[in-house]
Amino acid sequence: MNTFKPVLTEYIDQQDCHTLPFYKRVGGYTALDKVLKMNPEDVTQEVKDSNLRGRGGAGFPTGVKWGFIPKDSNKPKYLINNADESEPGTFKDRLLMNKAPHQMLEGMVIAAYAIGCHTSFIYIRGEFYKEYKLLEKVVTEAYENNLLGDNILGSNYSLDVVIHRGAGAYICGEETGLIESLEGKRGWPRIKPPFPAIEGYLKSPTIVNNVETLSCLPHIVNRGAGWFKSIGPEKGPGPRLFCISGCVNNPGVFEEPMGVSLKELIFDRAGGIPDGKQLKAVFPGGSSSAILTANEAIDVMMDFEELVEKKSMLGSAGVIVMDETVNMVQACLNIARFYAHESCGQCTPCREGTAWLVKMLTRLVNGGGKPNDIDMLFEITDNIGGLIDFSKGSFGKTICPFGEAVAWPVRSFVEKFKGEFMEYLPQEKVVA
Amino acid sequence: MPLLKIDGKEIEIKSGTTVLQAAEANGIEIPYYCYHPALEIVGSCRMCLVQVEGMPKLQVSCNTFVGDVPPERKVDGKYDMVVDTQNDLVVQERKNILEFLLLNHPLDCPVCDQAGECYLQDYSFKFGNAHSRFDEAKRVRPNEYLGSQIVINHNRCILCSRCVRFTQEISGTSELFVEARGYNSKIAALEDKPLDNLLAGNVADICPVGALLSTDYIHKNRIWNLKEQPSVCQDCSVGCNVDVFSQRDQILRLTPRENHDVNGYFMCDIGRYGFHRFEEIERVTQPMVRNGESFDALNWDKAIEKTADLIKKSNGKTAGIVSPFHTNESNFLLGLMMNGVLGSLPPITKKEITYQSGFRISADRSPNRRGMNNICGEIVADLPSEIKAQAIHGLYILDDGVDRESDDVWKEILAKMDFVVVQTYAMTALARSANIILPGLAPFEREGTITNDRDRVQWLRSSLPKKGESRADWEILMMVMKALDKEEQTFADVGQVIKVMGEKFPAYKGLSFFRLGPHGMSLNGKASG
Repeated sequence: MNTFKPVLTEYIDQQDCHTLPFYKRVGGYTALDKVLKMNPEDVTQEVKDSNLRGRGGAGFPTGVKWGFIPKDSNKPKYLINNADESEPGTFKDRLLMNKAPHQMLEGMVIAAYAIGCHTSFIYIRGEFYKEYKLLEKVVTEAYENNLLGDNILGSNYSLDVVIHRGAGAYICGEETGLIESLEGKRGWPRIKPPFPAIEGYLKSPTIVNNVETLSCLPHIVNRGAGWFKSIGPEKGPGPRLFCISGCVNNPGVFEEPMGVSLKELIFDRAGGIPDGKQLKAVFPGGSSSAILTANEAIDVMMDFEELVEKKSMLGSAGVIVMDETVNMVQACLNIARFYAHESCGQCTPCREGTAWLVKMLTRLVNGGGKPNDIDMLFEITDNIGGLIDFSKGSFGKTICPFGEAVAWPVRSFVEKFKGEFMEYLPQEKVVA
Repeated sequence: MPLLKIDGKEIEIKSGTTVLQAAEANGIEIPYYCYHPALEIVGSCRMCLVQVEGMPKLQVSCNTFVGDVPPERKVDGKYDMVVDTQNDLVVQERKNILEFLLLNHPLDCPVCDQAGECYLQDYSFKFGNAHSRFDEAKRVRPNEYLGSQIVINHNRCILCSRCVRFTQEISGTSELFVEARGYNSKIAALEDKPLDNLLAGNVADICPVGALLSTDYIHKNRIWNLKEQPSVCQDCSVGCNVDVFSQRDQILRLTPRENHDVNGYFMCDIGRYGFHRFEEIERVTQPMVRNGESFDALNWDKAIEKTADLIKKSNGKTAGIVSPFHTNESNFLLGLMMNGVLGSLPPITKKEITYQSGFRISADRSPNRRGMNNICGEIVADLPSEIKAQAIHGLYILDDGVDRESDDVWKEILAKMDFVVVQTYAMTALARSANIILPGLAPFEREGTITNDRDRVQWLRSSLPKKGESRADWEILMMVMKALDKEEQTFADVGQVIKVMGEKFPAYKGLSFFRLGPHGMSLNGKASG
């Protein structure tokens, strides 16, 4: 299995890997040179053929997304690089921006060229100040070397890149929330339709792609869609950065092919659980994915399809590991509290429901449990985010997927660790 | 045209119509809060969710557009969309949303001004649960003033954001915004820019619950005690359509009435609070005749007789002063009565305001200048010099009813007159200079037609009973005319006046209460003047 050679993070251990000379030395910007001589449609087709799926969380096929840009629109088109990485347990984009910023930038120019965009944005999470400073330098450097600006590398193609800092809201990572924020408004996700590819930034066609997604592009162009598709499962192939945190000996970002087993990630790459403790539960894809029990986690493959089958999701590939000492009720409260804090407050179920969950779980943890609390937790989560059972057709009750993002993990906690929740309920008196 | 099947009903509708609009137009009720036809769609309240066949999840009907679909995608081979607004999933979802909305709601309907016209109350009865399952502490916040006339009760607010969008899209003043985030969200006004624009009162109207309240109406009455009458605002020449809410002879509040040819859904605060003028002004409810510095009361017969005598004796040297504040019928009759000089007092104008949404407050603060010019024949442009030139020594004035001081020119004219008859409802400065005062009706007591500055004739319905011995202005004029042996005809009501008016001014021919309906009728430039 370990024949895989990292693609995106191949050079991150080397000194000066973030600099332009280094990146050029290892073949950087050759893909761009190649792309600028291609038809934009062919670039889109190549990406479609590669089956590259978005690395931000939803896993939507990137090439298909680009294809939604209306061909006959005379409005300007925009590309937004979503660098607002804020899913708990996820820190891969930050690594890519620190260690391989030019790889990401090259990906941006390729994507922008493919969709016919001439102004593009990097929406970077406000807390990433160091990365922001670095990106400013990198963008300036790119302008100086004719990699951005007018007539890039002597072609007819021009592109400007603007860096915009977010102000610290989780919801601004949702693409329409991000667009609103970029327009200077409150980060309230927009109702769809229209989708951003039709009416996005300033009501113009807009594509929002994640840092890691864009970083994949130079490699797809250089080595071909066939190569990309050969890595991991065909429906969602490619290299993937897995962020492993929580109760492991060696937390960090690990690049592996899609479909790697979770067991291998935790016990091999991340060095297993400290002090010989037992694995209890794992978030496979950030805190908004449904949690997996140790039994479920131990033989799961990290692949879009398989995790959906397990009623969870690959999400942002932020793996959070919990060992036997973790109190699942308190962990659940912790997660609920995060989402209540980050709910934008626009949609009724999410605004009111998240706060209700927190109030209820807080009461539970503080010893005020009531007999029907568990039933109520199920009902509230269902009413916020709906059931994860896709066949029932009753999921998604809010404008953006935030409702699901809070409902699914909380529900999975209660469902899978019901026993622990029961301990917080008033004990039935045994009549002697 | 796309074919929509909604709750088993087949409806052909225009492409681009939303499911919500289609349902509303066909008598199917879909509850909603954040949607407002004049505002941008945000789809955030989630109350209007319906089941659309072929869609995995419930859809917000306010943002689901019906359009033509290709034949192979038609449902059952013919429908462009099939919608169910009544199935179990939808019914349950409405219950869920209402449960969420009521979690922190104080349930203080007995002391809430919105009770009786509250969508939270109505939908809870229709679609909600009877009991709450919420066992936690409610969020409690104090009331706040958003502007001098608008107070917000945060506990009742459901954050539909209609008010915020109103200040952004209609008034364009953007004083309101949502502060904080999630559960802590609340409506707030900018610190240095309170909600004090001239359209501010509308936010209380568009608030679907009892959160935004007009300080002018708060705690004054209960809505079910009030009589609601459609009428027209008379504070500028736009002629916004309004509903007058009154109890006995007192107006409690005015709210805008939808009319897309005039005011859309809104009205300005000048008109909204304008009725208080009539509370402050000293009413005249009895015919009076001057006695030195004061007035003596008189009965109608005597008053009319005296008036006619004075006019007769002046030998045609009495001028009539018509008023842009009065109805077409009153002005018309005065014109008919005076075949000499006819004029009007200097106009009252302020700054014209047009908002980004097109909503307009006219510079001309009289409601019926266009009508007055249409149906009075010749009105002299320069009345003071005409009075001098023709040696006029008597005046019959239809008083504007606006308390303003006369300028020096007019003071001089009034001082020189042998007699001044003022037909008015208020003891204005002008009335105080009269020899005879004939008590007419106040604006919301009148009935008749007025013509706005865009040539639209609208029917004014009397919303209040007349006071004391006052009589309809057209009736007073009719009585004077009879005493002058001018007019044989007796008018039984305003409609008969209009008939005669229509014969002389064809643009106004055939107008009636039924023809004008609730929204009036455009003259299409047919009237001269």
